Amino acid sequence: MSEERKEPVWASNTPGIIRASLNPWLVKARNNPERLAFVLHRVTGVFLVVYLLLHLIVTNTPARAGWEAWDQLMETFGASLFNKIGEFILAGAVLFHGMNGIRLLLAEFFGVCIGKPEKPKPPYLAPSLRSCQRTLLYLVFALWPILWLLAGLIIFGVI
Amino acid sequence: MAASRLQLWQYLTAILMVFFLGYHLAERVPWISGVSYEEGLKSSHVYEVYTSPWGIVLLLLAYTALYHGLNGVRGILYEWKPGKWERLWDALFWLLFIVFAVLATSTIALLPSLHG
Repeated sequence: MSEERKEPVWASNTPGIIRASLNPWLVKARNNPERLAFVLHRVTGVFLVVYLLLHLIVTNTPARAGWEAWDQLMETFGASLFNKIGEFILAGAVLFHGMNGIRLLLAEFFGVCIGKPEKPKPPYLAPSLRSCQRTLLYLVFALWPILWLLAGLIIFGVI
Repeated sequence: MAASRLQLWQYLTAILMVFFLGYHLAERVPWISGVSYEEGLKSSHVYEVYTSPWGIVLLLLAYTALYHGLNGVRGILYEWKPGKWERLWDALFWLLFIVFAVLATSTIALLPSLHG
């Protein structure tokens, strides 16, 4: 007699904030680069929102506390390694979210690069998964590390 | 807000951000702006940018990015807890959007003189 499942079958397909959105190890991303991109898009998106709110508070310093406070803040943190590592992580998030966002705009909003509907036939692979949005996705995955490295070289003053 | 309309605004703000964020990144990249990273953080440079017409572009970027970002989080929260919870997510969205939009506006509108 087989062991009783701890989790009902339906639960594995139920969207939950951890299962469906944020944890790439819990989603079925194998052979599904779109799913991996979806998870990375959300993770970088949440990171960017947190950064944006903090950025708006910091850039408000001159209006709130004057230019002396701004100069003091920038002298302390502006050129620090801590800030540069933060900007490097930020660059990675912006690059992925931006490039993948443009792919999503093209495919989902403008309806290009998603193929045309057709009669299902084995192996039942949707046209959208064989269309050029998949090529764009691979391009995003290929360009991302290269551009991130380039951004790192600029941020850390190597070039 | 209906989920489809929420997503429509997400696309529209994304298109705007391509231009606004493109300007902001160009303005911060030393190769393009001709201003070094450290120089770009100095009060004299920041004051010059904020008081130029480009300061308005940065303000528009702040509004657009705020809407796009907070609306994205609202979408995640809609999926997490739909139904009656959606009113709470809407209220939180507008509260955060208004508070931070006012903060961003004050950054430009209440900017003190550099020598004063």
